[in-house]
Amino acid sequence: MLAVRAENLSKTYTGEGAPVTVFSNLTFELPSGAFAAVMGPSGVGKSTLLHLIGGIDRPDSGRVEVFGRALEEMPPRERARFRNERIGFVFQFHHLLPEFTAEENVAFPERIAGVPAREALRSAAQLLERVGLGDRRAHGARALSGGEQQRVALARALARNPGLLLADEPTGNLDAAASAAVFDLLRELHAERGMTTILVTHNPDLAKRCDRLFLMSREGISPSPGLPERG
Amino acid sequence: MRFETFVALRYLAASRSRAHVALIAAISIVGLAVGVAALVVSLALLSGFQDRIRQQMMDRSAHLRVSPARGALLPDAERVARVLRGLPGAVEASPAIEGRAWASDEAGAALVPVRYRNGPLPAADAAAEPPARIAGTLAARLRTGSGDRVRLTSSRFRLSPIGPIPVTVLLKVEDVRRTGVLEKAAEIEVSEETARLLSGTTVGAGAYEARLKAPLEVDASARAVRAALGPGYRIQTWRELNAPLAFALLLEKVVIFVTVALVIVVAALNIVSNIALTVVEKRRDLGVLTALGATPGALQRVYLTLGGVIGALGTAAGVLVGAGLSVAADRFRLVPLPSDVYLLTHVPFAVHPGEVAFVAAFALVTALAAAVLPARAAARLAPGEAIRLSR
Repeated sequence: MLAVRAENLSKTYTGEGAPVTVFSNLTFELPSGAFAAVMGPSGVGKSTLLHLIGGIDRPDSGRVEVFGRALEEMPPRERARFRNERIGFVFQFHHLLPEFTAEENVAFPERIAGVPAREALRSAAQLLERVGLGDRRAHGARALSGGEQQRVALARALARNPGLLLADEPTGNLDAAASAAVFDLLRELHAERGMTTILVTHNPDLAKRCDRLFLMSREGISPSPGLPERG
Repeated sequence: MRFETFVALRYLAASRSRAHVALIAAISIVGLAVGVAALVVSLALLSGFQDRIRQQMMDRSAHLRVSPARGALLPDAERVARVLRGLPGAVEASPAIEGRAWASDEAGAALVPVRYRNGPLPAADAAAEPPARIAGTLAARLRTGSGDRVRLTSSRFRLSPIGPIPVTVLLKVEDVRRTGVLEKAAEIEVSEETARLLSGTTVGAGAYEARLKAPLEVDASARAVRAALGPGYRIQTWRELNAPLAFALLLEKVVIFVTVALVIVVAALNIVSNIALTVVEKRRDLGVLTALGATPGALQRVYLTLGGVIGALGTAAGVLVGAGLSVAADRFRLVPLPSDVYLLTHVPFAVHPGEVAFVAAFALVTALAAAVLPARAAARLAPGEAIRLSR
């Protein structure tokens, strides 16, 4: 079964200045349970692709299906619920909400789903234990180190036990040791929970440890049997 | 606690760490509190005066008046009197004999048109002039006081050996009463006998009036009288008798409310800017919350709740300050009035819970309405763009 099926996706950003076409007619498929890395130069639309797959942005044309459900056909409320239940996001800059503690940040997906606060916080505490931050749960997001922040973000992404995890350069802002620790944790959790993971990265060492590798360029995205040379 | 409320409260509490947002939030709350307090004090001031006026209406007017639907005299005055005296809570029922005349001093100078009517007066000596109670304003115009005499000349004529001459009586002023604010009562009260002589109403009465123990429940009494007497009678309560004045008082209150409420509207503009600023500052958070599954409606509710909380804090503070000031000003007579000029010794304040509740509801609804526009903007934000641009 396919976890992700994206067909003929096109996306152009129109803002101030000339419109910027990120990609056009891009097609991408990923089976369930895969741990895939997406690599490519900056500006080719890796993050945009994740946003389209996660339903937080809309393609100008084309179609995205996640676990057989077409995102475009869902009304906004249903799409939000689907995202809450089936898709987890990890961003490059963790994007924890600074006014809240680590535990409260991790509890957000459950609280959005309507789970009572006490129950959501108990689940969050367990997840923080799992990512090795049981003693940091009452700390504010700003009081954590970069690696810790990213582990909290990972715990938050897994709060609803999603089938698909979208990680947009989660180690891009960390030193080598912290990168390796976060990646190892990601790999473990992927195996534990049997989910599908798409990891956007610029790090070839991490990419080669993934099950699949996709290379993205201006021409589109294609599976690669090996890794590009460092350069 | 709902997720939206949780986020809104935390944003408000955490605004202390963002000086500019905290300042605007504080201005919003204080502005709303000032507006609410000003409105509560203004209405309490008006209510203080209006309650006195209403009390005077109840004291000076008949509570219930029955007059004929047509004609000058009641068709069955005795029956009307029986029905009014039989009302539960009726204190007294008496005929109303009234008319217009000209008042002058004993010498006949300073002719002043007046209304007269019968009223409760001490019994007079058979040999002395009949007694009268006159309004202070009339006493001033006639330059008379207690113990002086006034002449009342009716518009009715009687036949004399030299032809028709007006009916005239010489009255002894027993009492000069202070005239109430906007008083509509007759300027001169005479005995029933004198009133009958002046008006020519030897039997029956033009109207019957009753006073009740509970004048605020006069409507029920009016219904009972209407049912007992049937058609052919005009039954008026003290509210109806003073309807133009009551309308003027209501209009005064409405105008003051609308004028002072503008302060609340201006304070609400601060709420708009406070929430709009928070929406812009929290643009990335909005994107993240959307990625976590929050619906546009939930994001809108976060900011509506924020507006509601700011509104509730400002309103609560304003109600406390306004009601506290009004109660203190009335209890400790903080605003004295010269008693030789005014009938009151101090400016009265009366806090009516219904009016305070109305002001509070108005302030809350205004605060929520102010939050609608930025909250909608938050719901329309493109989450992908918010995250992409906040790197």
